[in-house]
Amino acid sequence: MAVQSDVIDDAGPYDRAKALSAFKLGDVTFYWITRLSAISVLLILGGIILSLIVGAFPAMKEYGFAFLWTQRWAPSADPPVLGALGPMYGTLVTSFIAMLIAIPVGLGIAIFLTELCPQWLRRPIGMAIELLAGIPSIIYGMWGFFVLGPFLANTFQPFMIKIFDGVPVLGAIFAGPPSYLSLFNAALILAIMVLPFITSISVDVFKTVPPVLKEAAYGVGCTTWEVVRSVVIPYTRVGIIGGVMLALGRALGETMAVSFIIGNSFRISSSIFAPGTTISAAIASEFAESDGLHQSGLILLGLLLFVLTFFVLAGARLMLMRLEKKAGN
Amino acid sequence: MTDLSVSMSAAGGLPQAPMLPEAPAKVTVRNLNFYYGEHHALKNINLALGTNRVTAFIGPSGCGKSTLLRIFNRMYDLYPGQRVTGQLMLDQTNILDPKLDLNLLRARVGMVFQKPTPFPMTIYENIAFGIRLYEKISKSEMDDRVEKALRGGALWNEVKDKLNASGLSLSGGQQQRLCIARTVAVRPEVILFDEPCSALDPISTAKVEELIQELSENYTIAIVTHNMQQAARVSDKTAFMYLGELIEFDDTSKIFTSPTDRRTQDYITGRFG
Repeated sequence: MAVQSDVIDDAGPYDRAKALSAFKLGDVTFYWITRLSAISVLLILGGIILSLIVGAFPAMKEYGFAFLWTQRWAPSADPPVLGALGPMYGTLVTSFIAMLIAIPVGLGIAIFLTELCPQWLRRPIGMAIELLAGIPSIIYGMWGFFVLGPFLANTFQPFMIKIFDGVPVLGAIFAGPPSYLSLFNAALILAIMVLPFITSISVDVFKTVPPVLKEAAYGVGCTTWEVVRSVVIPYTRVGIIGGVMLALGRALGETMAVSFIIGNSFRISSSIFAPGTTISAAIASEFAESDGLHQSGLILLGLLLFVLTFFVLAGARLMLMRLEKKAGN
Repeated sequence: MTDLSVSMSAAGGLPQAPMLPEAPAKVTVRNLNFYYGEHHALKNINLALGTNRVTAFIGPSGCGKSTLLRIFNRMYDLYPGQRVTGQLMLDQTNILDPKLDLNLLRARVGMVFQKPTPFPMTIYENIAFGIRLYEKISKSEMDDRVEKALRGGALWNEVKDKLNASGLSLSGGQQQRLCIARTVAVRPEVILFDEPCSALDPISTAKVEELIQELSENYTIAIVTHNMQQAARVSDKTAFMYLGELIEFDDTSKIFTSPTDRRTQDYITGRFG
């Protein structure tokens, strides 16, 4: 017995220290692996910005800030004249219209799914929404070009043009002629593409509302609509805005589907039924056959998109902070 | 019996309230059965809540007392697969009538939950919200109503300087009194309390109990509680439930001193539950 315990006492501390040092090595390795992964994000981001700036430098030197408010885009002129106003306008307008359509529809679907939908219909609709997110954007582009575009140009667009003919402001926004390729068609496709983001995130955050809170609202006599408006949406505001931001980020940068159906026209028209272009569509359609100053100009467009997205997202975050302050927490 | 009286005095003594005369029934329950899908959760319940009286429901967890409370304002309607048979009357209104306007019913039968449930808005709005559902009144009238409700909830002095702060910024006990004030603001006839103090500290509990006593002057009150001393302190009548059945229903003083059923006696003396 004594011998045995001696052996254990001898071996015990020794083995233990060894085992611990092995753990320590593992810990240090783990720490460095995670740390390098985190740092690599910063390096990649910095690298992308740097290479964009380097690539865009010749165009920046040539056009300066006038690039931002020049509408003309004539890369084959000598020297080439390049201005970003058209693509910037197109990007903002298509994203804005897309959100205008997608936010109410997406929230509506989420509210229906969580609060009103009979159990047996929940899964089919939920799965359809997820499938919508899985469709590659090139297919949206083709569908928009061959099906949605002609359909809108033959039905919805003439209808709107006729209704608002002669009305100030609105008449200019919904001016003819109808077109297969237009800002509005692109925005509608974008709305369909970002819908799953808004819906699935909203459904997830709606599920976090404690049932007892909803019961309390029903308990003072609220209707379902009043419960949703006054309790569910305020309670989940931050999550919903997060989903909307994600969708907006996608809409601003979406390339393939948009370049199919937007018409790639750099001219700005007051009508949303006129063709236009977005930054990403312009880059995608011209980059392959560009060189020299033209290519540099396209890279500068890319840098602008980067900055634009950053400002839109930062602005949204600021709005969120202000909302929270107002709510009193 | 000696055993029982000893444990009762240790538990804070017998209720001091004088015996009240038998009150006319506000809510009448006849042959009520309730099912969660296949599960038969309430079996043939018969009782009446007296007008402006406090009725306590006690019993071990899962005995169906909260379920019964949630039938009184048809809260079970929110969930599929739950159904009820029998008769349940609020004065002359059949609560179980499928055509009944649930929003109006819930205005007449208010509910306070186990966990405080302030809405995600300011303290003022928490109260005004419920009032606005039923009445269109001016800003100054609304101010009056909010103040009155908060006084009714014994909360006015603590929050009068921060009515625009979020309801969520209050402490747990204050939040619960806010919920009571919110319920009272709608001017219900019956108030249901589902374990209102189980998440509160002793001081908040005392305040809420005091409030329940005051409210019973004007409202018919039903309270579910796991705390037998609380039932003894606040209620006029007590119902003991066990496994979905109503075992005994009588004056609180009688239930706690000389229960007729063996199971009631075992439960209130702490032999099970």
